Amino acid sequence: METLLEKIKDRVNANFDLKDYKIYTDLKRVDLFFNKEHIPSVLLYLKEQMGFRHLMHMSVVDWIEEGEFEIIFFLWAPKEKVKIFVKTRIDRDNPVMENMDNIWPQLNTYEREFKEMYGIEFPGLVAPEEFILESWSGPPPMRRDFETDKYAKDNFATRPGREDAQDVRETIAKRSGEDIPDFAKKYSR
Amino acid sequence: MKREKATTLYIGPQHPGITGNMMVRLKVEGDTIVGARTEVGYLHRAFEKLVERRNWVQSFTMMCRFCVPEPDPVEESYARAVEMLDNIEIPERAKWIRVLVLELARISSLLLWHAGQGHSLGLYTMGQWSVGDRNYILDLFEDLTGARIYHMFIWPGGVRRDFPKGFEDKVLKTMDYLEKRLEDYDNLLFENSIFQKRTQGVGYVNPEKVIEHGVVGPVLRGSGIKSDIRIDDPYEVYDKLKFEVPTQTGSDIWARALVRRVEIRQSIRIIRQVIEKIPKGDVYTKVPNPQKWKIARGDAFARTESVRGEVGMYVASDGGAKPRRVHFRGAAYVHAVTLLEEVLIGQNIADVSAIMNSLGTCPPEIER
Amino acid sequence: MSFFDLRGTLKPLTSLKQFGKNPHTIRYPEVPVEASDRYRGFHFNEIEECIGCGNCATICMNESIDMIPVEGVEGDKGDSGLRPRIDYGRCCYCGLCVDVCPTGSLSLTKDYIHVSEDPDTFLFLPGIENPDANNRKTYISTKETSLNDWARIPMPELEGKERVKSFAEVVLGYNEEQARQEAERCISCGICTEVCPDHMHIPEYINAIASGNDEDAVRIIYDNNPLPELCGKVCTRRCEDVCAIATRGEPVAIRWLKRYATETADASDVIKDIVNPEIRERNGKKVGIIGAGPSGLTAAYYLALRGFDVTIYEANEKAGGMTMYGIPKYRLPLDSIQKQVDYIVSIGVKIHFNTKVGKDISFKEIYENNDAVFMGVGFPKAWTLGIDGEDAKGSMQAVNFLHMINSGEDVEVGNKVAVVGGGNVAIDAARVSRRLGAEVTILYRRRVQDMPADWEEIEGAEDEGVHIEPQAIPIKIHTDDKGNVKAIEYLKAEMVQSKDGGRPKPVAIEGSNTIMEVSAVMAAIGQQGDYDFIDKEYAEKIKIERGRFVVDKNQQTTLPRLFAGGDAANRTADAISAIADGLRACKAIDAMLMPSNK
Repeated sequence: METLLEKIKDRVNANFDLKDYKIYTDLKRVDLFFNKEHIPSVLLYLKEQMGFRHLMHMSVVDWIEEGEFEIIFFLWAPKEKVKIFVKTRIDRDNPVMENMDNIWPQLNTYEREFKEMYGIEFPGLVAPEEFILESWSGPPPMRRDFETDKYAKDNFATRPGREDAQDVRETIAKRSGEDIPDFAKKYSR
Repeated sequence: MKREKATTLYIGPQHPGITGNMMVRLKVEGDTIVGARTEVGYLHRAFEKLVERRNWVQSFTMMCRFCVPEPDPVEESYARAVEMLDNIEIPERAKWIRVLVLELARISSLLLWHAGQGHSLGLYTMGQWSVGDRNYILDLFEDLTGARIYHMFIWPGGVRRDFPKGFEDKVLKTMDYLEKRLEDYDNLLFENSIFQKRTQGVGYVNPEKVIEHGVVGPVLRGSGIKSDIRIDDPYEVYDKLKFEVPTQTGSDIWARALVRRVEIRQSIRIIRQVIEKIPKGDVYTKVPNPQKWKIARGDAFARTESVRGEVGMYVASDGGAKPRRVHFRGAAYVHAVTLLEEVLIGQNIADVSAIMNSLGTCPPEIER
Repeated sequence: MSFFDLRGTLKPLTSLKQFGKNPHTIRYPEVPVEASDRYRGFHFNEIEECIGCGNCATICMNESIDMIPVEGVEGDKGDSGLRPRIDYGRCCYCGLCVDVCPTGSLSLTKDYIHVSEDPDTFLFLPGIENPDANNRKTYISTKETSLNDWARIPMPELEGKERVKSFAEVVLGYNEEQARQEAERCISCGICTEVCPDHMHIPEYINAIASGNDEDAVRIIYDNNPLPELCGKVCTRRCEDVCAIATRGEPVAIRWLKRYATETADASDVIKDIVNPEIRERNGKKVGIIGAGPSGLTAAYYLALRGFDVTIYEANEKAGGMTMYGIPKYRLPLDSIQKQVDYIVSIGVKIHFNTKVGKDISFKEIYENNDAVFMGVGFPKAWTLGIDGEDAKGSMQAVNFLHMINSGEDVEVGNKVAVVGGGNVAIDAARVSRRLGAEVTILYRRRVQDMPADWEEIEGAEDEGVHIEPQAIPIKIHTDDKGNVKAIEYLKAEMVQSKDGGRPKPVAIEGSNTIMEVSAVMAAIGQQGDYDFIDKEYAEKIKIERGRFVVDKNQQTTLPRLFAGGDAANRTADAISAIADGLRACKAIDAMLMPSNK
């Protein structure tokens, strides 16, 4: 298995500017990292030339601390029974990714979703403006800096009747006269 | 030929013939559909966003909510993805119990499909029978997991509890009963000339394009392609079990119905094997204290075969106590949007809900 | 296919055979369906067993569990006094609350029907509102299915045979991985903090260790304890007795985790770098402290941080008091104390060693020259056995013996030592004697399980070959003609249940006299105070009851400006209580002398 995965990696590397890779032998999985401009040609090559015809999934991860979105394509070769994860990073402040629904039509749906949920632009994407969210004017909600808790508190009322709830730690500290210093509080439960 | 004037027709979001709260906006000329658009947004609960605020153990209780009729493959995918991430080896017995749960879930979901497919074509008796029989499966779930619909049973590390007393016998008895009932189903549904006429040649999916479309499960197998995650990318103990993967070449509702007709029998066969072969032992590998469980940075993707086809769960960790990203992929994400929109063109309005049932559209998988 | 398909028409008609059969799921009239034996329905809580740790409320992702005070449940040590209330508008019956419950008091039941037009009835106090659900419990917590970690990470130790060869430290301490794993067991409820005399921020520093931030842990620890390494090694750790995990498993090793954190700072300047304390500008007020034991050092440290000019007067040549001279070095090495004392000195505390108050300097001088005085003078004098032959050569007080050993003096104990007593001092004296090469027997009046010493210490002593003779009451020390100890005579005792319901009392059995040949006898039956150093004019004004200074909740004695703490002021007589006394006194002195600070 390891040689097969190595071979796949080598073949891709021979044709494209592979940034990095990682092989997980027991999972029959190869992770390939590229710059985003190579992605369409890599995907097309993998699909048409190397038998990775099935797109299992596409995902976006918000690495807000690093200022980037990670975009991942999960491919499956039905014959070799091997997975490839094609990964790339795009700038979080100017998130643009090429529209690729001509390679796999289902990407159209994924792109609609990520446009709405992460605010990623896919120039050339033909689809109705709204997908899941209706009349949504807030920031793209799946971004890490959108706080669901805060949003819920700001927009929805809480039913009264539960104000007598107490924090166990605070109750005990108060009763025994313990002053928990502020710098320690982040470690409280 | 003179073109008739196109009319816009909305099917859903509330409609007795469809599989959940979604809407298909049709453009029809007479009875013939010339355009279709899937409109969703009625079920969005931001599960994936909510999970990012929960720790690794808390998150598992959210998973069943992705799909009501068949929650277990989602639980299984999440649990397995987390186990891959944190290199947890689960006990052998837990794997067998998971397979049992997954197959029971398949049966339960297939019985619902019988109901839906019959219902969508006006055959209401089928629904009354199969939903009634599904209750016996739910009884088994109640005995094993403590809940009928949202089992919350498969969690990272294994399963939550072992078999209760006398459970094996009850399973076998239920399987015997169900097998006998399947003969009645054949007479009522599959031998029914109305059902045959309404399904043959309807809802045709171009077999040349299925893989590119991301089509999975019975729809793929009904188009002549033998593909099943349980065989292609085996997980748990499926490689130790004997079962067949049926295929049909018709690529229409009828072909997919025949595939499912065999699948329910294969699931019964698997369950009998599990009861026979299941080893003794623990059912759970202890994971760390949920409050303090941290998983090293990395990602994992786990796939499970559900009745609608392959479902996948992508889980990424940033090294913390909560997932950085949990992203679910259900079969309906493709079937109910791009595929449905294409298949509906040229079909009759009266067949829409039958086609939707046949493709396994499940809106919570699109919106999550 | 023809238009009329005979088979396809007749086959479905076979379903007519169902006609007239009873429906197979729903019965009329409706019979309530009994849920299965594992059904996850409404909650039930054993109110008596529950300790109100709130772990259920923490795991509940739907925020459906509130911890609220309920009537009839008093919060005290080991119980927060709160009990869970479930909001069934939010509960999803996942049962995680049951799986994380440390006590096993919470369970789910077969009940699942509640219909009401009043939404407030969906707030529900399990166990209080449904006491009869006890026999309908279904989804219960067992140790096997629980998500808590019951077993402690074992502490690496020297083997018994190795230990007796030297005074090397017996407990080796957790390494980083072990400490992280042990810290992960904590559920952060904070029940432990209430029984800690000093109310240390236990969940916070354990959580800091678990998340890999040892420096934060050290800072949190130093917030109210300047001698944590000492506590990390020899604390009586009452916190562990009430640990929520201890209800069904081994308590989190709170003491060893504190030890781990403090040992990561292995020198006084490293401590100073990490703690980086804010030292206020000198406020011109002077505080004198008598005794550099734990309470005196604590008061000195926090007073100095608050800008006071602090001077300690210590009779011995090293600081630490009883922890320095009473605790053997295999438990608490000199370095451990020394580096903490160095750190305290480094922030501006002055210590005058070898300065015995009453002899080298008068109490009057200290009292009159300072704005406030704190006494942490301890119990220096040992109780004697009060039996014949006690003044023989080779008969000694265990505390004095330990003091001499810890001062580096040679003590001749011969080859067979009898230690009388059952506390930590007795065990210490016994184990030290083993290290000097003697065979050791401990004579104790009651049973082994009644011994007040730490069980770990008792086990350690047994591992090292110390013999414990329980239910033995010494009556005489026999001497040879040169006046040396020759043997000890004791009576066997039987345990008699006292009538007032107290613990059983040992009663000597007539005629059970046993004579054991020994070369030394050590008495370890307790110590008392010695207050002769206080000048008479002050002593009259200081109230002393049962050998201890009478102090108020601020540690203030009946003499104005005079505060006291430690063994001479509290009844618990351990290091952590002394530290707590010192901190309390510091706050009171600060409030008294610098009222504008508050």
